[in-house]
Amino acid sequence: MEVTIRNAPSFANLLVNLDPGDRIVAEADAMASMSSGVEMTTRWNGGVFRAIARRLFGGESIFVNEFKATQPGHIVITQPFPGDMACIELKGNTMFLQPGAYIASEPQVTLGLGWAGIRSFISGEGLFRMKVSGYGRVWFGAYGAIFTREVVGEYIVDTGHLVAYEPTIGIRVGMAGGIFSSFFGGEGLITRVNGQGKIYMQSRSFEGLAAWTNAHL
Amino acid sequence: MHDVSQDFFGGVFSDKIEGGRAAAKISINSYGLVAETLEEERFEIPFGECQLDKGGASGRMIFCRNSDRSITLFCEERGFPKALETLSTGALSGQLRAIQLKQRGHEKTFLFWLTVGSVMTLIAGVIGYYALIAATQAAVAALPISIDENIGSVAIKSVDLHARLDAGHVATKLVNDIVKELEPHSAIKGLNFRVMVVDEPTVNAFALPGGQIVVYTGLIKKAKSAEQLAGVIAHEMAHATLRHGLKGVGQSLGIIAAIQLVTGDVGGLLALSTQLAQESILTSYSRKSETEADLEGARMLHEAGIDPKNMADFFQMLEKLEGDIPDLLAWISTHPQHADRIARIEDYQKQIPQKPYRLLELPWEEVQNQLAN
Repeated sequence: MEVTIRNAPSFANLLVNLDPGDRIVAEADAMASMSSGVEMTTRWNGGVFRAIARRLFGGESIFVNEFKATQPGHIVITQPFPGDMACIELKGNTMFLQPGAYIASEPQVTLGLGWAGIRSFISGEGLFRMKVSGYGRVWFGAYGAIFTREVVGEYIVDTGHLVAYEPTIGIRVGMAGGIFSSFFGGEGLITRVNGQGKIYMQSRSFEGLAAWTNAHL
Repeated sequence: MHDVSQDFFGGVFSDKIEGGRAAAKISINSYGLVAETLEEERFEIPFGECQLDKGGASGRMIFCRNSDRSITLFCEERGFPKALETLSTGALSGQLRAIQLKQRGHEKTFLFWLTVGSVMTLIAGVIGYYALIAATQAAVAALPISIDENIGSVAIKSVDLHARLDAGHVATKLVNDIVKELEPHSAIKGLNFRVMVVDEPTVNAFALPGGQIVVYTGLIKKAKSAEQLAGVIAHEMAHATLRHGLKGVGQSLGIIAAIQLVTGDVGGLLALSTQLAQESILTSYSRKSETEADLEGARMLHEAGIDPKNMADFFQMLEKLEGDIPDLLAWISTHPQHADRIARIEDYQKQIPQKPYRLLELPWEEVQNQLAN
């Protein structure tokens, strides 16, 4: 199975070339086009209750689709908003994805929902997060461009810009400055990430878009 | 001496690994920690070099670094700290206790700020709410009376007036005469009071913004005297002169605007809670305006030389009739407890200087006879 991220960074989409027997799991409604020889089966996103929990709290779909090639073919997978996509390869390790970031994965990857905690919720990153583990490649998307950083110690990310991080990374809520500058400087609360590991960030945030749109309505 | 060792699942960071990190099996033996990756790369940290730290996404992950920090092992399995303590035969106990204390400190700080944040949000909300009400009142006072007129003329269209008595009817004339007695004493000038009497058994009367007053004959029949009727009419006129209709509209609009300003948008659940909040505020607000209208009405009666006690008497009568006449509910449901209102009017009368009150020279008997037929 050969996967290319095309049209990045603005309108990234995945072109997946499948050999007979190849399978790929994708977020519901992520398929934009595919060859006629590709079969689609829909299944619960990891069990009925987990799937519902994932929909309610993780911002993911109740169903995921599994695509299987019966003859050589391809499938194009996309995301609902403009932005880049990235691929990570899991080798027995775990990765946390922010709600809505997951796009597709290889079948041996386990999708789970992890409790992110009150801290994460206050900093606007959600009460839950998607946990991907196992073996294989995972593709996720972001609004805007994706940039990464190897964190050692502490690093500060504005709320809504964090996309994915390793479990070795801790998240803490903080204020951007003093009480006054935090709330009148427009930065408000920020996310303090600490520990060691890689974080993926997006160059735009949905809150930013929403606020900007609101101001122009 | 035989080696006791325990294995855990975790990972390792090192520049020697492709990609800088890998999942690994972590073994603790009597000398230190050993990490073995799937590619069979081996990394060792003796207990003497081990620098411990705690954190990670779960807050439970233990990190162990060597002295030049080139290797970091990590593991978040539950038994890991205990095994470290036991197998290091006390060499790491001090560090383990220190990271435990550090984490507890973080938790306390977090709880403290969580409490401070919640309290501050609550205070800001309460202050904001009262500021909003004050701002609405001020804004409404600045608006021209013509806006009240417009709202009133729209609202009157939804009132069923087909049983309206004509302007020449004695009952309409009577109510008009009462309004003329009271009008010179209203709080604001420039309102154009217009009276409509509707021939229906409903015991109700209301005033619309701008000064249109609707009185049902049911209420006129229930009143014991022209002065009692004047009490009800003074109360309704006060609603118009105090511009309660406009204040209510302004306030609910203000609340919606404020919630949108704070939240950025009104989502499904939020929209519902907005509506509920709004309804409860409006009912409590209308209670407040009823009380205001009672006092303002009493003041107008007093100035016009009519005993404000007549208003209280009318409430007293309603209280006695309550229960056996369902039509009464229309007026009662939106009005505060009669006992409270009567008490408030009596209190008011104690505060104002006494003066001789008069009786209205109006054809009360004739109106009652006409309506009875």
